[in-house]
Amino acid sequence: MNDMRFGGRRSGGVRFAGWPAVWVVAVFAADTAFGTPPMIVSPSETSTNEAASSSSFLEGISRRSYLLGDMWGLRPGLSKDGVALNILETSEVLGNVSGGTRQGFEYDGLTQMALQLDTQRAFHWYGGTFNVSALQIHGRNLSADNLSTLQTASGIEADRATRLWELWYDQKFDQSGRFDLRIGQQSMDQEFMVSQNALYFVNTMFGWPMVPSADLPGGGPAYPLSALGLRGRIRLGDSWTLLAGVFNGSPVSHNEGDSQQENPSGTSFPINGTALAIAELQFAYPGLGSMVYADQHAPLPRVYKLGVWYDTERFADQQVDNAGLSLANPAGSGNPRTHHDDIAIYAVADQMVWQDPAEDDRTLNVFLRPMGTPLDDRNLVDFSVNAGLAFHEPFYHRDDDTFGAGVGYAQVSSAAAALDRATGYYSGTYYPVRSGETYIELTYQYQLTPWCQLQPDFQYVFNPGGGVPNPNSTSGARVHDEAVLGMRVNITF
Amino acid sequence: MNSAKLKTLLLCALTVAISNGSRAGEPGSFLQTLHHHKTLASTIADNGDLNPYALIVAPVSAGKIHQGDVLIDNFNGIANLQGTGVTIVDYSPQTRNVTLFAQLPQKLPGCPGGVGLSTAMGMLKSGWVIVGSTPSTDGTTRTKGVGGLIVLDSNGQFVNVWADTNINDPWGNIEAVDRGSNATLFVSMAGFDVPGPQVRDPNTGYPVTIKKATVLRLELAVPEGKPPILNGETVIADGFGQRADRDAFLVGPTGLALASNGTLYVSDALGNQIVAIADAATRTNSAGTGRTVTQGGLLRRPLAMVIAPNGNLIVANAKNGQAVEINPTTGKQLCAQWIDANQAQSPPGNGDLFGIALKPDGRGFYYVEDDVNALVEAVP
Repeated sequence: MNDMRFGGRRSGGVRFAGWPAVWVVAVFAADTAFGTPPMIVSPSETSTNEAASSSSFLEGISRRSYLLGDMWGLRPGLSKDGVALNILETSEVLGNVSGGTRQGFEYDGLTQMALQLDTQRAFHWYGGTFNVSALQIHGRNLSADNLSTLQTASGIEADRATRLWELWYDQKFDQSGRFDLRIGQQSMDQEFMVSQNALYFVNTMFGWPMVPSADLPGGGPAYPLSALGLRGRIRLGDSWTLLAGVFNGSPVSHNEGDSQQENPSGTSFPINGTALAIAELQFAYPGLGSMVYADQHAPLPRVYKLGVWYDTERFADQQVDNAGLSLANPAGSGNPRTHHDDIAIYAVADQMVWQDPAEDDRTLNVFLRPMGTPLDDRNLVDFSVNAGLAFHEPFYHRDDDTFGAGVGYAQVSSAAAALDRATGYYSGTYYPVRSGETYIELTYQYQLTPWCQLQPDFQYVFNPGGGVPNPNSTSGARVHDEAVLGMRVNITF
Repeated sequence: MNSAKLKTLLLCALTVAISNGSRAGEPGSFLQTLHHHKTLASTIADNGDLNPYALIVAPVSAGKIHQGDVLIDNFNGIANLQGTGVTIVDYSPQTRNVTLFAQLPQKLPGCPGGVGLSTAMGMLKSGWVIVGSTPSTDGTTRTKGVGGLIVLDSNGQFVNVWADTNINDPWGNIEAVDRGSNATLFVSMAGFDVPGPQVRDPNTGYPVTIKKATVLRLELAVPEGKPPILNGETVIADGFGQRADRDAFLVGPTGLALASNGTLYVSDALGNQIVAIADAATRTNSAGTGRTVTQGGLLRRPLAMVIAPNGNLIVANAKNGQAVEINPTTGKQLCAQWIDANQAQSPPGNGDLFGIALKPDGRGFYYVEDDVNALVEAVP
């Protein structure tokens, strides 16, 4: 059977579309460190600020950015030292009303805590940012329990845990922001392969996509995992940027079993002697300094990215053992042949295609993110693609709402499919041969207050798992197509 | 994936059309001379105040301020409630550090509604700093006070506040004619009878527009060693649109720039236009909404404004990350430059820009990006 050592699926990137501003603010505003519980700070001299004081907790609650406001003086106290604290809770109920291995609704949630230290504000050192973040993952995992999908339904689904996520230091080397380096434990999904417009969706694959999730050891250094590494960013021109990094080849020491259980607290900081190298060339219009002329049609904003990753870890063959026999062959050893590297390429395109001439905030944007690997033998998924649209302010005067419609496709490699065929052959029974899995998603992000978003969501999965057999079926039938309904809530504390 | 698919994938990625809209230079354009945009410092105050609005360059050294320092005020408190910011920070180009210049209490005697520091800020040669307050307690105009103009000494200490019936939510950047012993200030007021954002115009669906915004001229006497005295006020323009906005708090006339011929240019944000008020320093009556210089085109809700060394107007857009250059004589919009291209907003830079100030050497300008709470400079 398939050796899942290197392809353990798990949920991917956790970026919330309504939060970019929060995180951007954090980069400059916050920039702090953590790992330790926030200390209780005496109210600063700004305790005269009645709007934010504890005595008027409800004052302005509908318009402030944080549910807890200044946290009774904690935030101003931290800010005095250049430290910013962000706590973000995502809770959701998702359920499949048809198909799957069984039907039902489940709750899952994630609390993210991040502290950032701006070194310029803290001790007049320009361009430095310390960042530490932690995750508290709770609830169940619908995709594992009910769906058996490759492209898991929610980007926050993961094993229940409280774990360190990222711990890094970033240094800018010039005021124009042309070069910066980041060193430490990093989650690659925060910077690489990112489609800005895909971040509004709930399905995992709109964050950290299928190819690296399925093929990289442990699913790659992406939520809820991370890896030690060094990342550089160079602005080659006003519109061109090169983002590149080298990370430990795996987020865990031993690529066997559940990668999240291998490093349950996120503090093992493995160094395996292998490397995951990645490079991404980015083009953005407008670039900083781009000119526009009144008598000339200006192109609509867009971002294009082209990237490649290469990993020197050991990768298990999807089809044959170390003697060249099928892994399904009872005469074989069952130990898959191993390969010493893996590679994939990807592209990301985000493009605004329409802007309401009467209302600048109303824009329609599309995205496309294909990726693939030529190495079928060692990869469960050899091609995946996400595409969709994001419509900002779909209803007039709902400036901060976004409607999204998207689709994802994952193709099971020919080697994995061959193993399915061999399994049927050697067992003498019918065994479904996996092919591709497709899902569509419709979502609406409703900004209730600046600190609270509600997000109803609908997904439909065609050929779940690429056509895996339903373990509850005695006849070997595949898992039936699934309709998934859900509601997500994002709260910024 | 087979090699054919791989090639197709590469081809798709590489053949995406790329153009950046560049073209040959616009004669005499100031913006075209600016090629570098440097993030200088965080504008977040020690108490966590956010959302930089006004910025000015100190004309003299006095007290804690050194000539050439950049003073920036914050409109929001740390909870990001608009109209609750109480701080002014000082960026020193020499040390490249930001220090706290002033921190006011939320409530100030004589300042109706309290303190929420707006885009209106100026510094006299005598060292006095004057800053507008457009306060709120819930982050919206529903609870706004009429505010006032607050006078600080050069050490950031509160001295006085001017509040009367002509002063109602000082909003636009202060333009000044400073003669030492006396001075003339121009400030726009955008709070007259503005209700909360929940009060909607049934025809448009937007918060109601109240056409009562003004431009006020203030005559100051500045006795030697004593705080400035407000001697006279004249409403030199009125009838501009003003309305509540959930994201921007208020929309109203914001940018003021005084030309050497005595014409005051005003960015009318709601009208999406730049207007001219003739004889601004001497006229004794209101010019109404003035003469339209230019409207629409590259303008996207214009905010703070300066006059470049070539005499052209440079105005920051609210609804995208562009600064627009306008010939005030012909009304021609020469060009615009993306000075904030952050695509986390749609369109890029939407809502990020506000204040803008010419550098002392005239070779570039300072501006703020309130999405990242940073002071930035655009230079050759």
